[in-house]
Amino acid sequence: MQKLRQKVILGHLALLAGGALVGSLYDQVLIGLLVAALLGLGWHVRQLLRFEQALRDRHFGSLRYGDGIWSQLYSRFNYQRSQSKQYKKSYRQLLKEVRKSTNAMPDGGIILNRDFEIVLCNKAAQRLAGFRRHQDRGHRVDNILRDPAFGNYLNAGVFDKGIEIRSPTREGGWLLCRIVPYGADQLLLLIQDITERRRLAAMRRDFVANASHELRSPLTVVSGYLDTLAEEEDIPAHWQKPLMQMKTQASRMNKIVAELLELSRLEGAGAAPTDEIVDICGLLAAAKKSLAGRNDIPKIDIQCNSRAQLHGSTAEIESVIVNLMSNAIRHTPVEGQVTMTWASDRDGANLSVTDTGIGIEPEHIPRLTERFFRVDPGRSRDDGGVGLGLAIVKHVLERHEAKLQIESVPGSGSRFACHFPPGRIVAAEPVPIAGSSSI
Amino acid sequence: MEAGDITDHISRRFNKDLEDLRSAVLTMGGLVETQLSKAIAAIVKGDSALGLEVANDDYKVNALEVNIDEECSRILATRAPAAGDLRLIVAIIKTITDLERIGDEAEKIGFLASQLAVMDRPSDSYRELKNLGNHVLQMLHDTMNAFARLDVKASIAVVREDEEVDAEYDAINRQGITFMMEDPQNIKRVMNVTWVARALERIGDHSKNICEYVIYMVEGRNVRHTDIIKSAIHSSD
Repeated sequence: MQKLRQKVILGHLALLAGGALVGSLYDQVLIGLLVAALLGLGWHVRQLLRFEQALRDRHFGSLRYGDGIWSQLYSRFNYQRSQSKQYKKSYRQLLKEVRKSTNAMPDGGIILNRDFEIVLCNKAAQRLAGFRRHQDRGHRVDNILRDPAFGNYLNAGVFDKGIEIRSPTREGGWLLCRIVPYGADQLLLLIQDITERRRLAAMRRDFVANASHELRSPLTVVSGYLDTLAEEEDIPAHWQKPLMQMKTQASRMNKIVAELLELSRLEGAGAAPTDEIVDICGLLAAAKKSLAGRNDIPKIDIQCNSRAQLHGSTAEIESVIVNLMSNAIRHTPVEGQVTMTWASDRDGANLSVTDTGIGIEPEHIPRLTERFFRVDPGRSRDDGGVGLGLAIVKHVLERHEAKLQIESVPGSGSRFACHFPPGRIVAAEPVPIAGSSSI
Repeated sequence: MEAGDITDHISRRFNKDLEDLRSAVLTMGGLVETQLSKAIAAIVKGDSALGLEVANDDYKVNALEVNIDEECSRILATRAPAAGDLRLIVAIIKTITDLERIGDEAEKIGFLASQLAVMDRPSDSYRELKNLGNHVLQMLHDTMNAFARLDVKASIAVVREDEEVDAEYDAINRQGITFMMEDPQNIKRVMNVTWVARALERIGDHSKNICEYVIYMVEGRNVRHTDIIKSAIHSSD
C-alpha cells in the first residue's frame, strides 16, 4: 500500500519534473510544467471516462487492463464484483432452499405486515385457504379470508390463541388460524387443517351422548323395580342390605348418565345466551337454603359484595354454584367454613367459593377439570361425587367466556374463582325484575 | 417541498380511505357468505335453530350496508373522486345493494329451513338443493374473490356460471312439479323447496351483477345487458 502510494506520487512528480526539464531547455519552465500537468490531467480524465463508460455498458471485460494506479483500481473493482456475485449466488441458493422448505410445510404460512397485507405465502396456504401466491401479494389478508370470525380475530389484536374457521376451499373442512407476531411489526399467519381433529372430537362427543342416552332406558327399568322391591315388606332380612346398595348404585348411575348427557350438550353448544339475566346473589342464597337444617356439613357463609348481574343461562350458572358448593362441603370438615363470594370491579366480576378443607396438592390442580379425574384413586366415591362436576363447571364457564381459577394450600383450604369478563356483566344499577314491568 | 409532502399525505389518506372502504365491502361479503353457507346447512341438516339464527342475523348485513353507504357519500362529498376512484365508489354503492339483497335471500332461506325442518324430510335430504346451494355459494365466493383481486377473468367466469345455476333451478322446478302431481300431499313441502331454489337462483343473479360491476370498475366498460362472451372476446383483442 505504502509502496504503491510512493510509486504514484513519485511518478507524478517525475512527470512534472520532466516537463520542467524540457521547458528549461527552451527557457520556459512554467509552460513546461503546465503542459506536463495538462497531459497528466488529460490522461486521468480519459481513464475516468473509460471507467464510467464500462460501468454504464456493464462491459466489465474492458476493465481488465489499465495503466498505473488505474490498473490497481480496476483489479480491486473486479475482485469485489466477483466476490459480491458469489455472495449473491449463495444467498439466492439459500433463499431457494428456504422457499422450498416453506413450500414443503404441511401448514399454511403467510407473512403479513402490520396492516395485515400479504407479503409472502407458501403453497399450503394456497391449497388450504385459496390464497394465490403471486396475485394476492399486497392484498389485505381478510379480503381473501373473509370469514367474519377471522376478521374479528384480526381486529381484536389479541393473538395468544388461534381461531377455528370453516375452510373456504373445501366443503365441511375446518382450519385453525393463528397469528404469531415476530420482528418489529411483522406477523406470521399459520393455517392448519383441523378437519380430521374436529371430526374425531365430534365422533367422541356423539358416542358419549348416544351411549348415555341408550343406557338411560334400561337404567330406568332397573331402578324402578328396585324402588318397588325396597318398599316390599316381606323381603327376607338378609336381602335388605344388598337391595339398599343396589338402589344407591342405581341412582348414582342415573346421576352419571344425566351429567354425561349434560356435558355433551354443553360441548356441542356455542356461546351461552345473552338475553337472559342471572341474579347470582339470589342463586347463592337459594343454594344455601337448599342445605338448611343439615348439621353434618360445615358452616356456609355468603358475601354478596356487588349488585352486578350476569348475562347468561340461569340453569347453567346454578349448576356451577351447586357443583362448587357441594365439592367444598364434601372436602371440608364439619367444624370448617365455606364462603361464597360475588364481587365485581372494572375488569369484570368474580364468583368464588372458598373452603377451609383438606386442600389439593398443586400437581393435581391442572387435571381437576378432567372427566372422572380423582385426586386419590384409592378413595371410593361413597361421598356422592360423580367425577363430572368440575368438567361441567369448566364447560359452562367456557360458554360464558369466563375463566376458572383454582388456588389451594394442602391442609388449609382451597379457593375456586370464576372470573367473568365485563362484556357479560350487567352494570350495578338495579334491574327491573322481569314480569313486574308496567306494560 | 412542504407542499409536496402535504399533497402526498392527503392522497395517502385518501388511498387508505378507499382501501378501507373496499375492505368493508369484503367484510360484508364475508358475512353474507357465512349467512348463506349457514342457511344451506340448515336446509340440508334440517336444523331449525340454525335457520332461525340466520334469519335473526340479517340485521348485521343491513347495518354494514348503511355504514358503507354513508362512507361512500362522505367520500363523494369531501374528495370529489375522479376516473378510477369514482368508478370504484359507484361500483361499491351498487355492489352493497346486491350484497344486501343476497343477505335478504339468505334470511328467507334460513326461515324456510326452519319451516322445512318440521316437515317430513325426503330420503335424499334435499340433495338437489344442496347441490344448487353449494354451486351458488361457490359462485358468491368466486365473486368476492374477483372483487378482492379486481380479477376480470374470474368475473367473466362467474357470469357464465350463472347459466348453469339457471339450468339447475329449472331442473328442480320440473322435479317439484312431478312430485306434486304424484301426490298432492307433497305440495306444501315442494312449494317451500321451490321458494328456496328461487332464492338461490336470485343469489346467482346478484353475484353475476356484482361481477359486472367488477368489470366496470377495472375496465370502465359497462357490460350489463350485453352479451358477455362477445365482449370478452372484444376485450382480448
